[in-house]
Amino acid sequence: MNPVWMQCKAEILRIFRNPYFVFWSLFMPILFYFLFTNVFNVGMGDEWHAHFLMSVTCFSVMGSAIMTLGIRLVEERTKGWSMFMRLTPLSDGAYFFAKMVGQTMIHIFSIIIIFTVGSFINNVTLTISQWLLCGMWILLGSFPFLALGTLVGLMKKVDTASGVSNVIYMGLAILGGMWMPMEIMPKFIQSIAQWIPSFHFGSGAWEMVRGNAPSLVNISVLIGYLIVFVVLSIYIRRKQEVVV
Amino acid sequence: MEIVISLNQITKQFKKQTAVNNISTVIHKGELVAILGPNGAGKSTTLLMMLGLIEPTNGEITLMGDHPKHKRNRERIGAMLQEVSMIDALTVMEVIQLFRSYYPQPMAFEQLISITGLQEEDLKKRADKLSGGQKRRLSFALALAGDPEIIFFDEPTVGMDTSARRNFWRTVEEMNKKGKTVIFTTHYLQEADDVAKRIILFNQGKIIADGAPIDIKRKLTASSVSFAANDFISLEMLATIAYVMKVVEKDGRVFLETDHTDEVLEEIFARKIKVKDINIHHGRLDEAFEQLTRRGGEFVESSLDAV
Ligand SMILES: Nc1ncnc2c1ncn2[C@@H]1O[C@H](COP(=O)(O)OP(=O)(O)OP(=O)(O)O)[C@@H](O)[C@H]1O
Ligand SMILES: [Mg+2]
Repeated sequence: MNPVWMQCKAEILRIFRNPYFVFWSLFMPILFYFLFTNVFNVGMGDEWHAHFLMSVTCFSVMGSAIMTLGIRLVEERTKGWSMFMRLTPLSDGAYFFAKMVGQTMIHIFSIIIIFTVGSFINNVTLTISQWLLCGMWILLGSFPFLALGTLVGLMKKVDTASGVSNVIYMGLAILGGMWMPMEIMPKFIQSIAQWIPSFHFGSGAWEMVRGNAPSLVNISVLIGYLIVFVVLSIYIRRKQEVVV
Repeated sequence: MEIVISLNQITKQFKKQTAVNNISTVIHKGELVAILGPNGAGKSTTLLMMLGLIEPTNGEITLMGDHPKHKRNRERIGAMLQEVSMIDALTVMEVIQLFRSYYPQPMAFEQLISITGLQEEDLKKRADKLSGGQKRRLSFALALAGDPEIIFFDEPTVGMDTSARRNFWRTVEEMNKKGKTVIFTTHYLQEADDVAKRIILFNQGKIIADGAPIDIKRKLTASSVSFAANDFISLEMLATIAYVMKVVEKDGRVFLETDHTDEVLEEIFARKIKVKDINIHHGRLDEAFEQLTRRGGEFVESSLDAV
C-alpha cells in the first residue's frame, strides 16, 4: 500500500472523527445561517440569502484551516508524536502533504454540505456554474488560511495555540464581514477590512453570487498573504530547529 | 562481528547540564544490550542520539555506517520511546496498518496483532483511548511494524503487567535469536541481568562499566572489610593479604575489598594487625546498585576498576 495515500486517508479520518470539527465547522455555520436568515434579518431577499450562505461557508472553511490544522500540529508536537514520526521512513514532506490533502478534502466536504443544507433552508438559486465557481474559489482561497494554520502550529503550547487562534479566527470573521455585511459596519472597520485577507476571501464569493468575477485586488491580497504566511512559517520553523 | 552502532567521544550538553559526557562504545550486529542506570544518568539522551532525534554536542555517531538520520536507516530501525504518545482518532488496527504501509517489507499484520496481545474488542478501540499499559503494547507492535534490524526500547516495560512483560521479553528474545540487534534501557539490574547479554552501566552521563551481566554483577556485589584507620597500618602491607582486591582509605576508614571476607579477617588477626571498629559490608544486587550510583559513592565506584 502506498504510504502517502494511507497517510492522507488517516488524516481525513482523523478530522472527521474530531467532534470539534463537526461542531464548529458544520453545525455552527449552518445554525448561524438559519438564525441570520430566518429568525433575524427576515425578508431581506434572495440576494442576502446567497450572500450570507457564502459568508458562513467561508467562515467554516477558514476555521478548519486555522484551528483544526494549527491546533493539531501543536498537539502532535507536544505529545511527542511528531518526534516519533521522524523515526519512520515517511518523510516530513509526505507527512505535510498528507495533512494538506486531508484538509482540502475536508474543505470540499464542508462546502458541499453547507451549500446543500443552506440552499434547502432558503431555497437559494444559483446556476450550476455559480455553485461550482464559488466552491472552487472558497477551496483555493483557503490556502492563505492553511498557511496561517501552520503558523499557529508552531506555537509551544496547545492552550496558547487555541487561545490565539480563536482570537484571530473571530477577528478575521468580524472584520472580514462574515457575520454582518460590510455595508452596515462603521467606516473605519470598512477601511481596515480592505487589508484583511478574510474580507477578500468573502468578497470573491460575494461578487460571484451577484454574477461578477472576483476582483484582481481580492486575488492579489490573498496571494500576498499566502506568501507572507508561508515564508514566515518556514523561517520560524528553521529558527526553532536550530535551538534543539 | 559487524559493527552496527558506533559512538565516538559523544557529549551532549543541554544549556548548563551535561547529560552525556564523552562516551565511546560500539554495538555489534545481533547483540542484546541493556543500558542500565538511575534517573538522569543519560540513558534516554544516548538512545535519542543513536536514533538521530537529537544531535550530539560533540563526537560522532554512526548507525549502520551512516548518519543516524539517513533514510536507509529509517527503514531498518524500530523504536519505543520513553514517552509513548498515540495518534488520536484512529483505531488500533488502523494505526498498525498505517505503520505497515510506511515500510518496504512490513511484518505480517496478524503477527503484529498477536504481539500487541490485545483482546478482540480492544483492537477496535481508538489508540489514544487505550490504557497506559495497552498503549505500550501497541507501541511495541509499532516499533516492529517494519520488521527492523535494530530495535531500540526506552524503559519498555514500565506500566506493563506481568503477563505483558513476559510476552514482551519473549518476543524480544525471539527477535534477537533471528539476528536482530536489540538495545533497551532500564533502571533494574534484575531485568538487565535476566534478558541482556551485555550491560552498559551509566551514571551521571558516563559509562562506568560495560560487560557481560555476570561480570557487572560481580562488580556490584563485591564485599568489603573496613576498620578505623590509624597511623600504624600500612596500606601496601594490607594489599598483600590474600583475596584482597583493592585497598581504599576513605573518611577515616580503611576498606579492603574482597569476595572472601572470612579469610581476610582471619589473616588480619593472624598478622596481629591492630584494627578497631571492624565492619563487614556485603553488597547485594540492588543495594550495591544504589551504592554504586549514589552521588559521591566514589569508594564503590572506584572499586570497580579493581575487579
Ligand atoms: N531536552 C532536555 N533539555 C534539558 N535537559 C535535559 C533534556 N533532556 C534531558 N536533560 C537532562 O539530561 C540528563 C539526562 O537525562 P536522560 O533523560 O538522558 O536520563 P535517563 O537516564 O533517561 O533518566 P530516566 O531514567 O529518568 O529516564 C538529566 O539531568 C536531564 O535533566
Ligand atoms: Mg530516560
